[in-house]
Amino acid sequence: MHAKSYWNPYLAGALLGLTLLAAFLVAGQGLGASALPKRAVAMAANAVAPAWTADNVTLGRYVAGPAHPLKDWLVLEVVGVVLGGFIGALLAGRFKATVEKGPNITVRGRLAYALAGGVVMGVAAGLARGCTSGQALSGGALLATGSWAFMLMVFAGGYAVAYFVRRQWI
Amino acid sequence: MIAPFPIAFGSEEAFLLSGLVIGGFFGFALERGGFANARKLAAQFYLYDMTVFKVMFTAIIVAMAGFYALAGMGLVDASRMWINPTFLWAQVIGGFLLGVGFIMSGLCPGTSVVSMASGRWDGAVTIAGIVIGTAVFAAAVDVFPWLEHLYEAGGEVSILPTLLHLPPWVLVLGVVAMASGAFIGAEKVERIFQAKYGMIELTPEPTRRMPQTRLALAGTLAGVVVVSLAFKTGGAVTAPAPMAAIAPLDVAEAIIARDPALVLFDLRADRTPRGIPGARPLDDSTAAAVLAEVPANARVVLFDEDGTRQVTATGWPGNVSYHYVRGGLAAWRSEVLAPVAPEFDLESRAAAERQRMMGAYFSGAGAVAAPPPPARTGGAAGGGGKKRSGGC
Repeated sequence: MHAKSYWNPYLAGALLGLTLLAAFLVAGQGLGASALPKRAVAMAANAVAPAWTADNVTLGRYVAGPAHPLKDWLVLEVVGVVLGGFIGALLAGRFKATVEKGPNITVRGRLAYALAGGVVMGVAAGLARGCTSGQALSGGALLATGSWAFMLMVFAGGYAVAYFVRRQWI
Repeated sequence: MIAPFPIAFGSEEAFLLSGLVIGGFFGFALERGGFANARKLAAQFYLYDMTVFKVMFTAIIVAMAGFYALAGMGLVDASRMWINPTFLWAQVIGGFLLGVGFIMSGLCPGTSVVSMASGRWDGAVTIAGIVIGTAVFAAAVDVFPWLEHLYEAGGEVSILPTLLHLPPWVLVLGVVAMASGAFIGAEKVERIFQAKYGMIELTPEPTRRMPQTRLALAGTLAGVVVVSLAFKTGGAVTAPAPMAAIAPLDVAEAIIARDPALVLFDLRADRTPRGIPGARPLDDSTAAAVLAEVPANARVVLFDEDGTRQVTATGWPGNVSYHYVRGGLAAWRSEVLAPVAPEFDLESRAAAERQRMMGAYFSGAGAVAAPPPPARTGGAAGGGGKKRSGGC
């Protein structure tokens, strides 16, 4: 089956914006992504070292209450992202087990970069209390001051380093 | 007429299910925009495909204009919205780092989920990296006190209209105008750099270029915003009144000193784990009535589990000052109740001594009589505040 083209970016953006607005109105908060890894790490740490987890400034809040750390709106929302992404890719004929990379890098090299980039982003999303979804997109749409600073710095960081990792992509 | 906002769901399951549905649309929109493909996202930083910028800013202006227009028309109460608090330096440094990780992995946390869901191994590996990085950061804040300070510095809710002393609609229109200009610029930049790199074929082929259509769409969006703002009936959009943070140790000192102005309220829905001694319960529905009985010039201090719940003093008596405990009950436990490590350097010795004294007092080991236990009236009334976790 031949893969369909992507949507016009402004159309995809409008649907994304309406979804974000729906999240604002229904839940009183925006969209997010890094909440799931944070809560998963909190849950795992709580199983191994409950006292340390409760005292940890980044994880303590997720295990403070009686509720299960994964019983949270944002966690279910990320599960929805998996389903929505899967359905979208399937219907457009884009579901494919493969590795996206430029022509000048091996699969192993690309996956090493992906892992390293993921680690850096895990640290970054921890420090900034959110990622491109929770800070830049959701906080940006609410005109939150810190979220705009975050958003501008994401682009700054990407452009600052792009030259050095160009072999991966072009 | 203010719409019920956020929607009060009958059961927690229904509320969680709404997250699943909204997340589904989020994932679908990202996939349709091409955000499951790391090459397409990375192209943003080599300027030959600016899809990231276009999708992201279109989404921002739609949601921003929609939210501020509804709030401006008085249809939603903006003070009930969870707005990301500003931790400026943590966000500046974290943002830069996230950009670095973004171009290394080609994906950001949200898009890595969609990438994995469409079968991409690089997406799955990125998620594994994010989980490792999250654990690394959690461990690192315990090891390096300066990192914890960086992480905790700030926490006030600040929105640009308040910061710049501009009415929200001016900011909204300004962002729409800037974004529309940038869209036109992005279309031009793409053409220049596509010629430079040669047409790089992304899987699958990008849509045929239709700048007019895109510009028309951007223009329509701007029009919608102007029209919706024209209907603005004057209901002022205000940021939640910024409430001053107060350090847990300062609260502890005030309690020990029996500060007569201090009035403590517990905002938690579930008050089973012991709160700060002497605190009275407070929930949204009864807040105004309860606070009316607070003596004039009182210093009202509020706390929740972790300092993330935002409270606005809308409709509350104006002759008292409101503060919230920075970091909530979690910070109270770690900064007042937790035993202090002995190996402090000279500089922090005084601070450590202070915390040790407070800890001893509240755990009952001090010579001073403990303050009265927290008053518990009735059950935990009303599920007013949903627990809000920090951003994404």
